[in-house]
Amino acid sequence: MAGDHKDTAFAREPTRDSDGSRPRVRIQDAVKSFAGRVVVDVDDLTLGTHPIEGLIGPNGAGKTTLLRMIMHSISLDRGTVTLSSDGDGSEVVLSDLPAHRMARHGVVKTNQVITDFEKLTILDSLLLSVAKATDEWPYRIYREQGLYEDTVEGILWYLDRFEFEDPLGFAKSAGEKKLLDIIRCLLLKPRVLLLDEPTAGLPDDIRDQLMGLIDEKAAEENMAVVIVEHDLHVIWTMSDYVHFMAEGRVLLQGEPRSIREHDTVIEKYLGSGHV
Amino acid sequence: MNDCPISIIVMQSSVRGAGQQTLMNHDAEHVPTLARRAGRETALMDLITDSLVIGLTEHAPLILAAMGFALLYRLTGLLNVAYSETITLGAYLGMWVNTTYGLNFYAIVLPAGILAGLISVATYFAIFRPAKNRNVGVLEMIIISFGLSILLRHGLQFIFGYPVRFYNVPPPNTIFVLGVGVSSFRLLALGSVLVLALLLFWFIQRTTFGLQIRALATDEDLAQVSGIRPLAVTVLIWFLAGVAGGLAGAFYGVGSSVAPLLGWRQFLLILLVVLVGGAKNIGGVIIAGIVTGVALTAMTLQFGQVLWAQLVLIAAFVIILKVRGRRMADTGKV
Amino acid sequence: MNLDWLDAFLVSGLFYVMMVIGLALLLHLQLGLARIANFGVVGFWGIGMYAFGVLFVKVDWPFGEVWAFLISVVFGTVVAGLAGLLVGWLIADLDIDGVLVGTLGFATAVWILATTEQDLTGGALGMGGLGFPYDIGSVKANETLWLVILTILVAIILYYVSRVHKSPYGRLLISIGDNEPLARSLGKAPFQTKLWLFAVSSAGMGLLGAMYGVNERFLETGNLGIDITLAAMVGLVLGSTTRMWGAAVGVALTVGLFDVVIQFYLPLPREWYTQAIPVLREMVFGGVLIIVLLFRPYGVLGDMRRDKLMRRMHGG
Repeated sequence: MAGDHKDTAFAREPTRDSDGSRPRVRIQDAVKSFAGRVVVDVDDLTLGTHPIEGLIGPNGAGKTTLLRMIMHSISLDRGTVTLSSDGDGSEVVLSDLPAHRMARHGVVKTNQVITDFEKLTILDSLLLSVAKATDEWPYRIYREQGLYEDTVEGILWYLDRFEFEDPLGFAKSAGEKKLLDIIRCLLLKPRVLLLDEPTAGLPDDIRDQLMGLIDEKAAEENMAVVIVEHDLHVIWTMSDYVHFMAEGRVLLQGEPRSIREHDTVIEKYLGSGHV
Repeated sequence: MNDCPISIIVMQSSVRGAGQQTLMNHDAEHVPTLARRAGRETALMDLITDSLVIGLTEHAPLILAAMGFALLYRLTGLLNVAYSETITLGAYLGMWVNTTYGLNFYAIVLPAGILAGLISVATYFAIFRPAKNRNVGVLEMIIISFGLSILLRHGLQFIFGYPVRFYNVPPPNTIFVLGVGVSSFRLLALGSVLVLALLLFWFIQRTTFGLQIRALATDEDLAQVSGIRPLAVTVLIWFLAGVAGGLAGAFYGVGSSVAPLLGWRQFLLILLVVLVGGAKNIGGVIIAGIVTGVALTAMTLQFGQVLWAQLVLIAAFVIILKVRGRRMADTGKV
Repeated sequence: MNLDWLDAFLVSGLFYVMMVIGLALLLHLQLGLARIANFGVVGFWGIGMYAFGVLFVKVDWPFGEVWAFLISVVFGTVVAGLAGLLVGWLIADLDIDGVLVGTLGFATAVWILATTEQDLTGGALGMGGLGFPYDIGSVKANETLWLVILTILVAIILYYVSRVHKSPYGRLLISIGDNEPLARSLGKAPFQTKLWLFAVSSAGMGLLGAMYGVNERFLETGNLGIDITLAAMVGLVLGSTTRMWGAAVGVALTVGLFDVVIQFYLPLPREWYTQAIPVLREMVFGGVLIIVLLFRPYGVLGDMRRDKLMRRMHGG
């Protein structure tokens, strides 16, 4: 994918190798504008060549919009988003599919702002996430116990690691809701996980634990992770590769260290006070 | 002025038949027009001119009501089901002033509209403003307005009784437009549509108050910060919408009869006209209203059955909404 | 069986109350869980009633009355279910204004068809010829048995709704009503879900309509006004839109109060019942909607408690 790089001078060997079976999302000629203002204009971008990739840029750079375009929760003015995997050679045009089909293809996104089901308890939320369409037909009115028994192990795996005040009750704090949002997504066993500012609002210890887990999963389960984050410490320590966006375009790509020291990034984003 | 309402009633009820129960008024003077021309070869041309003239004049109150409803819907975000009773109220108030004080229709039409406007403002203060302050959801707001609609409708029935009532007016002059007879009341209704449309255009586009309305429609918090008084603007919107609805009601009432269900029978059509025509501006509502009126008349003349015309129209409009709704499906919240 | 103690009018009053409870329960699935405001309940109810009645009366059945009856009931239910699919397809991806237009428009379309297709439906004059599929003696006995059968049906609907609350399906409905975009991002398909919800609940409404037609032995377009929708909605809102028992409690407190208690147990002057009471009833219903949604949005029973339910099911 070296040909896609806007600035190949910084394209070095990634810290961890991609074994090729990791799914990749390719965004081509994708444009989205709101009220006449172009918010995203990406020529050709491939995400997922490395286990964990960071997506950074100043406010209004179009990062969240780009993730939403991948999820197809907003429509594209033009362009395509394709999910491909060398492992089984499959290729899916995500931008032709409705939003609810993304999860089935393993493309999942966590939310920047707190997003929750007000009427559902934590356990409800988790069971909702693991339930398949066949569990949810109008006539399957005795399915609950079976679903619970089939899936409780996976749910408890997370509940043991991440403590909620009352898992049978409602998520109480903003932190719990944020954590719940991410666990809901992890329970979907994603192949491509898009994290939109995952650490905002999380206590430090939970943040570290969660990021450690995601790091592990990216390496062991061949999951492609894309992190949008303002806490750059997370980006520099976790990502194997970084994309820098500004004004709707991807201006730079490369290893974290090279991006961090690049003049453009310092000028447009980090500021000269940055060390 | 008490001399001849009976003849109107007889004439109307004899022709109306099924139309009595329908969403629209079917008027006496048009039917002979068709009969008169039945044998001619220029039937298609006649159908077109008839549809245009009758459709425009007969359905002028629909356009009027739709403009008021759209104003309220666009600027306050409320789908007010009780708007149908604003229309009914206009009809009853006009009839009450007309029969109680023996006033000429031309003299009572504006007061009826203003009274309806005041009642509309009263419902805002009594119900919709408290509801908004209590952060009632959009869906619940519609159900509340539905409840108010039922309450007012049967309240009117309680006061005025169930029997159909009539305005006490001399038969209107029949004026021939393109060879089609049209009552002077209907021309007045059409004139009111024009006046109100121009007034609204001028109001919303030109004056500072219009600027405030538009600011309020875009962002209430922003409007408040920039020193605009949302309350005054909102009250004005409710008043104008009420006047439009009341006038429409008076025209409906004098064109046929007054009954508690008068406004409710028009409600679905108004809603369709506003939703299909009015996402962007008042002009769209007017165009959709005209198309609706003309299409209804043309189909009624063709089928000889008002209800089928309505059925076709309902189906067509819902499909338009469906097709358009799909294209605009942009959730974007997640 | 001696039924002298039972007032025939009371039986029909109870029948109406029981039927509205059934409708309110089905509306609860749509409005309370999935948060779809169906203003066209009467349309689904009515199309079931008319589809049943027309098939039963107009077809020259070659076999026994009972079989003809059962086939017609199934037909009415299926037609209402198909209508639910159609309307669901029209409105499932529309905003709340589109839902209002679609459901209200459907109810109006049913009324128009029932009125204009006079050869089939008898139009505004109405159509007779319907009756019970059995005869156990007096009219009162037949009606009482029919009330018992309706009660069993409504109990089954109540049981289904209670199971929905306790099943993954109910959770799916709640999630879509609560936050549709979020549910979609978790792979849930709101469109299909609403489609099937409408098909199933409309079929139920149609079946209740057919049963009502039998009880009246006469089909009238006058029944196709807003009254049925209003009764179901008022009952549900007063009880609690989101709780299963809300429908039963609320309908008992509204329709039950007017059509049973006031009708039979209050010593009011005769002429009030024909003139003032029906109008007053609707006024009260309208007022109840306003007052409840302003001051106690989840009705007398309050909001649903998923935490309690989860504790009961999975807390052990």
